[in-house]
Amino acid sequence: MGLGLVESGKMPKPLSKLLNLSRSYSMWVYQWGLACCALEMGAAFGAPRYDVMRLGVIPFPASPRQADLVVISGTVTDKMAPAIKRLYEQMPDPKYVISMGSCANCGGPYWDSYSVTKGVDQIIPVDVYVPGCPPRPEALLEGVVLLQQRIKDEDIGARWRGEPIVVE
Amino acid sequence: MSSSDTPDTDVTEAEAVEVDELREGVVARLREVLGDGVVEHHIVPNCDVWIRIRPDAWQAAASSVRYTLGARQFGFLSAIDWQPSPWRRYMDSEVDKAVHGDEPKPLPEMTTGYAGGETRFQVFARVANIIEHWGVTLKVDAGDTDPAVDTWTKVYAGADWHERETWEMFGVRFEGHPFLRNIYLPSGFEGNPLRKDYPLLSRFTKPWPGIVDVEPMPGTDEEPSSEEGA
Repeated sequence: MGLGLVESGKMPKPLSKLLNLSRSYSMWVYQWGLACCALEMGAAFGAPRYDVMRLGVIPFPASPRQADLVVISGTVTDKMAPAIKRLYEQMPDPKYVISMGSCANCGGPYWDSYSVTKGVDQIIPVDVYVPGCPPRPEALLEGVVLLQQRIKDEDIGARWRGEPIVVE
Repeated sequence: MSSSDTPDTDVTEAEAVEVDELREGVVARLREVLGDGVVEHHIVPNCDVWIRIRPDAWQAAASSVRYTLGARQFGFLSAIDWQPSPWRRYMDSEVDKAVHGDEPKPLPEMTTGYAGGETRFQVFARVANIIEHWGVTLKVDAGDTDPAVDTWTKVYAGADWHERETWEMFGVRFEGHPFLRNIYLPSGFEGNPLRKDYPLLSRFTKPWPGIVDVEPMPGTDEEPSSEEGA
């Protein structure tokens, strides 16, 4: 990948397409199960009926440093938020986030709680929000497909040249 | 939990003659050890027993039930804020106001449950003797403002985390606890969320919407809000 193409920000379109295709079908997903959505995510990702590996998503990496994607599934509490941010920062760029379920999207039924973070997007950038309490496995898989579509349309030069996204 | 001391009359008439010797014995043995450290007790025959302890005997009660009465299993320790919620209708939804009326509910009397109590905060703990098959709930008055009781960690090591949780949720200090610090809440959290007067700040900007069906039932054309307003 030399040739200064990435650095110059001008990737030939066929090359971008090829790279994006490869990336979108080999996403290592790091899963962050925080509450009941974690079981739904297990059913959607691991169980044979909705097997996520047929979409090219590989669950269960050993560490966030191997992951391209993290699924935040469940209730994010203020106590857990620093840990989420820290492990997100350990993931290598380019990295993507799926927020699964009402709690991770906006606080959900805990909208008036004293201890729940009202949406994981307050601490890390989110690419796909999957609504539901909990979402159906089909919904989560569609979220994965939408994310793959987004990766395929990405200008890889811009993505790799750009500064990392920082949410303060 | 919030039921009053008056027992159900049907039950007492049917079981008036019945005496729960096991639980009467537990109370008698505890009175033997603690003397007037036992303030009050309540027995539901063949079911359960509640004993209220004087605050200065709280730690002695722990060692008594464990080492003298053999209640080696520590169930849990927590607290109750018996004060009725001061918010009353403040954060109620418009729907609830339409149904129950707009004027504030009268503030109910403060009740303190089985075996009574004199203060707003009560600490209570559950221990069990798994050999003789009985359990007992011990209660103690912790005070109205700045509640505090003695720690149980010297007798039941498992009380450590329970007391930390009670401390952060109710603000009850445990004298002699090795290290009172936050366990569930982030460090530096201000306030005691399980106190009745703790405000849910989100509801000041957006009141509780009430239990409403936002979608009309199939086949009905009317908006649900107009039905509610009628």
